[in-house]
Amino acid sequence: MLAAIRPDSWNFPLFLHVLGAMILFGATATVAIVGFAGRSRPDYAGMLSRVALNTFLLGIVPSWIVMRVAAQWIVGKEFPDEDAAPGWVDVGFLVSEPGAILLIVLGILAWLSVRRGRPFLAVPLLATLYVLALGVAWFAMSAKP
Amino acid sequence: MSTYDWLLFLHMTGAFLLVGGGVVAAALNIASLRRDRPSEILVLFGLIRIAVAAIIVGSVLALVFGLWLVNEAPFAYSYSDGWVIAAIVLLIAGNAIGGYAGSRDARTAKYAEELAAAGDTPSKELQARVRNPITLAGNYVSGLLLVALVAIMIWKPGA
Repeated sequence: MLAAIRPDSWNFPLFLHVLGAMILFGATATVAIVGFAGRSRPDYAGMLSRVALNTFLLGIVPSWIVMRVAAQWIVGKEFPDEDAAPGWVDVGFLVSEPGAILLIVLGILAWLSVRRGRPFLAVPLLATLYVLALGVAWFAMSAKP
Repeated sequence: MSTYDWLLFLHMTGAFLLVGGGVVAAALNIASLRRDRPSEILVLFGLIRIAVAAIIVGSVLALVFGLWLVNEAPFAYSYSDGWVIAAIVLLIAGNAIGGYAGSRDARTAKYAEELAAAGDTPSKELQARVRNPITLAGNYVSGLLLVALVAIMIWKPGA
């Protein structure tokens, strides 16, 4: 219902939040894809580990910041009294904040994979877990159960 | 949850797959620009096929459930609204331009496969094809059209 009745001033932060989340989804999926590919193609594991690390640094980190800052921006506009925010907002924060810890671990492991020249299975597994968590968040954000 | 809620979720799922797939393709494409060995370029281009599948499924979901939403939403939207038409045009144009660039990349992957089988030595011709400005422009323009599509969906100008 929000889409048609929100004030125009909410559109820009919503745009940044949605676009940031979509890029975060794609960048995390990239890390999962190249991580699993590196496990099944040992000859290219070093290159694919580097792609995963670069995607983490240049894709996941900036898009998470844009998504999270824009989320706070629009929540501040839509629910000035944070205690009155509905449950679907809390689901978003549950995915983004504990999810940030998961992403930090993912980044450290991706860096170690490059340093040690061998791909860690934990990298694509954590990336897949975060992709699924993002799916839960976009279900909560769009269907608002 | 109402029918509208479910349709919005499925429409958003399509949009995430579409844009997310575009991000995966872009990341792998950019990574290929930094590689010299044909077999490495072939591996990266091969993984782009996963992104292409996500883009196709996402485009279909976003379009089908988006059109259904126009009918189902209680906000008097119409198929003749400018933002609805603009969104459909952007979706088709983005896929057409991206598909054209993708077909050029597929030919480059085929060439990389031939070089990989013939010794896997770096080739200036392959580098030129990977960095072809028309192909890169097609990929980047299709990405920008997707960003514009998201903006249209948020602002819904004229609604």
